[in-house]
Amino acid sequence: MRNVTALEGLLIADFSRVLAGPLVSMTLADFGADVIKVEPPGGDETRDWSPPVDNEGRATFFLAVNRNKRSVELNLKDPEDLTLARELVRRADVLIENFRPGTMDRLGLGYDEMSDSNPGLVYCSISGFGSKGGAGLPGYDPLVQAMSGMMSVTGPVEGDPSKVGVALVDVIAGLNATVGVLVALEERRKSGLGQKVESNLLGSALAALENQAAAWLNTGVLPVRLGNIHPSIEPFTTFTAADGPVMICVGNEHQFRSLCEVLGEPELADDPRYADNPDRVENRVELEAELNLLFAARPVGEWVDALHEAGVPAGPVNTIEGGFAVAEELGLDPIDEIDGVRTPASPILLDRTPAETRLPPPAEDAHGEEIRDWLKSG
Amino acid sequence: MSALSGVIVADFSRVLAGPLAAMNLGDLGANVIKVEPPGGDETRSWQPPVDDQGRSTYFQTVNRNKRSVTLDLKNESDRALAFELAMRADVLIENFRPGTMARFGLDWESVHSAHPTLVYCSITGFGEGAGAEMPGYDPLIQALSGMMSVTGPPDGEASKVGVALVDVIAGLNATAGILAALHDRKTLREGQRVEVNLLSSALAALANQSSAFLNTGHSPGRLGNVHPSIEPFSTFSTATGPIMICAGNDRQFCQLVVTIGAPTLAEDPRFTSNQKRVENRDALRSELDQRLCLDSVEYWSEALNEAGVPAGPVNDIGAGFGLAESLGLDPVAEIDGARTTSSPIGLSASPAEVRLAPPGLDDHGVEIREWLRAPRDPAEAADQN
Repeated sequence: MRNVTALEGLLIADFSRVLAGPLVSMTLADFGADVIKVEPPGGDETRDWSPPVDNEGRATFFLAVNRNKRSVELNLKDPEDLTLARELVRRADVLIENFRPGTMDRLGLGYDEMSDSNPGLVYCSISGFGSKGGAGLPGYDPLVQAMSGMMSVTGPVEGDPSKVGVALVDVIAGLNATVGVLVALEERRKSGLGQKVESNLLGSALAALENQAAAWLNTGVLPVRLGNIHPSIEPFTTFTAADGPVMICVGNEHQFRSLCEVLGEPELADDPRYADNPDRVENRVELEAELNLLFAARPVGEWVDALHEAGVPAGPVNTIEGGFAVAEELGLDPIDEIDGVRTPASPILLDRTPAETRLPPPAEDAHGEEIRDWLKSG
Repeated sequence: MSALSGVIVADFSRVLAGPLAAMNLGDLGANVIKVEPPGGDETRSWQPPVDDQGRSTYFQTVNRNKRSVTLDLKNESDRALAFELAMRADVLIENFRPGTMARFGLDWESVHSAHPTLVYCSITGFGEGAGAEMPGYDPLIQALSGMMSVTGPPDGEASKVGVALVDVIAGLNATAGILAALHDRKTLREGQRVEVNLLSSALAALANQSSAFLNTGHSPGRLGNVHPSIEPFSTFSTATGPIMICAGNDRQFCQLVVTIGAPTLAEDPRFTSNQKRVENRDALRSELDQRLCLDSVEYWSEALNEAGVPAGPVNDIGAGFGLAESLGLDPVAEIDGARTTSSPIGLSASPAEVRLAPPGLDDHGVEIREWLRAPRDPAEAADQN
């Protein structure tokens, strides 16, 4: 067993802020890359996004995506600091940035210039709406959730279109960028050359709409908002138990029969209106009404236990605390802790060269002196 | 040349997360062989909707750039071909319930001992420990992880995202894990196992919301379309429907209130800083709604954007694609009449390309079976050992 990780030896110059870019560099860092986080005076703006803060007053937003990085403060408007930034890029394998398109060029840190001085550089840009017609548009996640159509299919049927309760498009764009960077590094072994990797939030949201997008693209029929139900499976949604909602995912006939038995109405499974899944989808409204009547008799916890016993996929609608508790119970070690900072553990598990946390999210410029010295040395 | 040309992927996965990981590799040049049971990937029958050739649009979503071969893993000679495929592959992807691949002699231990450089990727719902028996349905993970608890109207029901986004995220994590393992393999010449599960993927994707819970002990509540720490950063009502406005700083807030004809709001002591606006959110929102409901979404979107305030309509999916088209993002890839969303991963020198349409079941069965029965190419063997 060697004591190295998958991406050891790679140097990442991370000029990105907020969420999508910092997630890319953190994922690379989790697998051993050396990430230098370049922050403007005042730092990544999420250092001030509070509440909430932890008991040391640090914004929990910043803590989420900045472990395993060293921080250096560089004022890119100051010529001396800019020289150091350019030296950093010259030495790096990967550069990550998520300024508005054009900003890095104006600073003299654009792709063309940087790849001239470092032809092996993989240069990763993340934007809201791409670098063409949308270059001037601001890349805020809720705006992209709204404009991509993602909100149009999320939320209660009768209510308003809903935003996902976390910047999930940022997360997905970050994951796409991570994949792009790793693929470019793979290609570099053959060609010796880096290239530009681009990911944008709108393209990422549309691609993540997967089957909903494909339905529109290939039939011209727009998917509508269905609340918690599934367009083609039933019962595959939330029901109302005595003390709250319970999620039921019945994927086959056997499970439907077991569900009816647990609910105390085995004859429902023989009702011709519910004989198979297409029948149940067609008669969804009646079926859900009948099931809701039965679910109202007992609390969520009792139903979930009984349904698990009977092999019917079911679970409570947890809070995030409940989510971590389930993962703990199942032995998934979902929490990573270092120096009192708790973050979700890497969800990417490699058995021989696993992710590891070596550094907590840094205080601003925490490693500034060592990094500046190194950049100034030959 | 494509970035991943020469990489052979044996794709035993079905439905969404695994096929997405395999398609990502296929888009970037890998040779993906999709192994299907008799009858095919179950999403071939998930319909409606279907395209004009009667093909399930669900299947079409995540299966371009693959060749299909039917192998009945319950049949001994097909199982031998499947094992041979694993021996020739660089990457194997599967998302059966834990234990299933072992029944076919295709589990990590068996395959790894015969072919040490293989990268073996498993995607499960809840990991391979105590959660091994739990079914990995995306809505169940959206419910159990807490993702639904923060999604939807504050006074309404907890809401599921209207697409299997946890599957998508797990598929992206798997792709990243495979690529990191391939990278590492080049130096050590040894493969390894990559594991991803939906629950951990959901918790990690909750990013700042997870971090808020983990570092304060309080679970974030459901806020509807409102942002926990920025205001105005949400939907508002216009005369023709909701508009999303993201005023992330004081300058944008001033531009906003000037544009809607209420400049005095910028000097109102209740709204002079973001922190105060968050504190007095309800009062501010009713002031803004009052003005915004006087005109249409289109009018306000244009006026606000002109004033430098990030704003836009809540589009349906068709309008989402229309927008991407108008911005030059080429969001649609079309091949042989099948339209899929273009790869969202842009590479300048070795871009993703669509070479193959989503295959019919066993479309490439004859050529793949012949290849597997023929002796291994010595060059291929050298590359692996």
